[in-house]
Amino acid sequence: MPWPLYLAFKQLFPSGRVSFITIISTVGIMLGVTIMLMVTGIMGGFGYQVGRLIIDTQGEIQITARHLLEGDKTGGVEKILAASPSIVAAAPFARGVVMIEFASRPAFPAIQGFDFDRMKKVIPLERYLLAGSLDDLDDDSVILSSMLARSLGAQIGDKVSIFSPLMFDRLNRNEVLLPREARVAGIFQIGHQQLDSATVLCSLRLMQDLYGLDRRVHGYNVRLSPGENVDAVAAALNAALPPDTRALTWLEANAEFQSIITFEQNMIFFLMAFIVLVATFSITISLLMSVLRKTREIGLLGAMGGKARQVALCFCVQGLFLGAVGTGLGLALGFTLLRYRDHIVHFVARLTVGQDVFEKFYQFSSLPAHTVTKDVVFIIVFSLIASTLAGLIPAWRAAKLKPVEALRSE
Amino acid sequence: MSDPGTVLRAAGLRKNYPSGDRTLEVLRGVDLAIGAGESVSVRGESGSGKSTLLNILAGLDRPDAGELWWDSEPANKLGLGELTARRGRFLGMVFQSYYLIPEIDAAANVLMAARILGGVGAGERDRAAALLKRVGLAERGHHLSSQLSGGERQRVAVARALMNRPAVILADEPTGNLDERTGDEVISLLLEVCAEERAALVLVTHNPTHAKKTGRQLNLIQGVMVGQN
Repeated sequence: MPWPLYLAFKQLFPSGRVSFITIISTVGIMLGVTIMLMVTGIMGGFGYQVGRLIIDTQGEIQITARHLLEGDKTGGVEKILAASPSIVAAAPFARGVVMIEFASRPAFPAIQGFDFDRMKKVIPLERYLLAGSLDDLDDDSVILSSMLARSLGAQIGDKVSIFSPLMFDRLNRNEVLLPREARVAGIFQIGHQQLDSATVLCSLRLMQDLYGLDRRVHGYNVRLSPGENVDAVAAALNAALPPDTRALTWLEANAEFQSIITFEQNMIFFLMAFIVLVATFSITISLLMSVLRKTREIGLLGAMGGKARQVALCFCVQGLFLGAVGTGLGLALGFTLLRYRDHIVHFVARLTVGQDVFEKFYQFSSLPAHTVTKDVVFIIVFSLIASTLAGLIPAWRAAKLKPVEALRSE
Repeated sequence: MSDPGTVLRAAGLRKNYPSGDRTLEVLRGVDLAIGAGESVSVRGESGSGKSTLLNILAGLDRPDAGELWWDSEPANKLGLGELTARRGRFLGMVFQSYYLIPEIDAAANVLMAARILGGVGAGERDRAAALLKRVGLAERGHHLSSQLSGGERQRVAVARALMNRPAVILADEPTGNLDERTGDEVISLLLEVCAEERAALVLVTHNPTHAKKTGRQLNLIQGVMVGQN
């Protein structure tokens, strides 16, 4: 083993034991890495959960056009979708805004009409139903989002009145179109505030009637086979679709929302990085103290033929080693805490506000977490570079010492 | 050029240090020649330039003027890297404060000299063990410096200085931190092992008794070498 490495490890572990300064420096890095990993994981969890929700409610790809699309299987878009081996299922949809009234309480929710038989293969709506059943849904019934049902005071079996923009169109032609009566067949809650606040789901036929679309639709939700590259499939579809029809991935369709999540993630990552940076100061300070304490030994190494860069390497290696061990322990602790995050959150909730109050207030009982390899690699690389740089300052100082002056020092 | 048999030679060494507005002449043309296996003592009062001379002879400091040869090689013309590497092989040094590395044991301290020069194998381990035995510390090889007495630490330092079979040992007040009896023992040991190893010894000391034990005694008075040179 080259002597700088030998001496570095001997100084870190004198007589086989771990020095106190080594422990303090390592714990600093460990805690920094743990916090970075946990915050990144939990932020990633929220982002991942929102992404899953979007996919669950829209599919991986959405086909839309400037004009209305033919909604039956003879349409050109249907044929293109059916020809793609990457697509498991595609379901047409029509969407818009309506006024809905129940017991003299009006609301203006977004409305989406689906071919439910086909939609079941694309969107797992059953998973999000709080009450009612999809089997009870027909062309004279609707499913309300939870907050909408609550604000209207509507329950399963109640009849709501739906006023569509088509009624104003008919009024212009001196025709009176009566509001459509629809039975509440179900109530859903996705866990996405925007969707849960004011959304009505209905059959495609009902939506086409409300908007006077005949058999046409606004677009298709597409579900891909597991493991398919969404971007590649979307690109292939865009090449095959007519120029005014576009296949958008779920990320593109929600680019603004995703960019906010990414921005938040990056900002938090940036802020958390300072914790690691501060922790690396403990390495710098402990190694600087070591250089000061060992000034005459450094002089001796020079007198015995040790080169300045070898002396520097000795201290640099110590910084890198402390960083590597701290990073390893930090990752282990971070993954352990992420693994048992719910136990910890529930324990803290029980000790403070109580489990029920906590779940009611935060509207979740399980803290989401999703760690991607890229983030972990970034944390490791960042931590190791910071630790090595932290070791460079004392290393540079040690290398700068002239043996004759170092030996003379008091 | 050096004479045959001369391992260390200095000619016209001068060294000045600024001291306020004045220039302090520490060495004023020192000439010195040390033969292979020879022992030489350099005495002088505090501030007479003994340590400065030793540092220059060791290549740790550069003279303002003069020449220095290690064997037949002009040491003051070597680059810093080469000088450092060459020093590790050519010279061994013993200091007043021992300068043992506290985190490693006595045997590892002795081996450190070989480790710095390139590596440690079975041969180096055997030599370190033999040297420790020779200085009377065969059973203390696994002791840290904190577990050794001052005299024992200095003996380890002597063994370390001899580890790479240097041509010259430079000893700077090696008994300065020791009591009289221990100091006498260390000096006797140093002279014996240097003679056995055929290493020349330059001993800087205040102690006239120790100086008399060397083959040649020199005095450094106000930067000028006086004595048999």
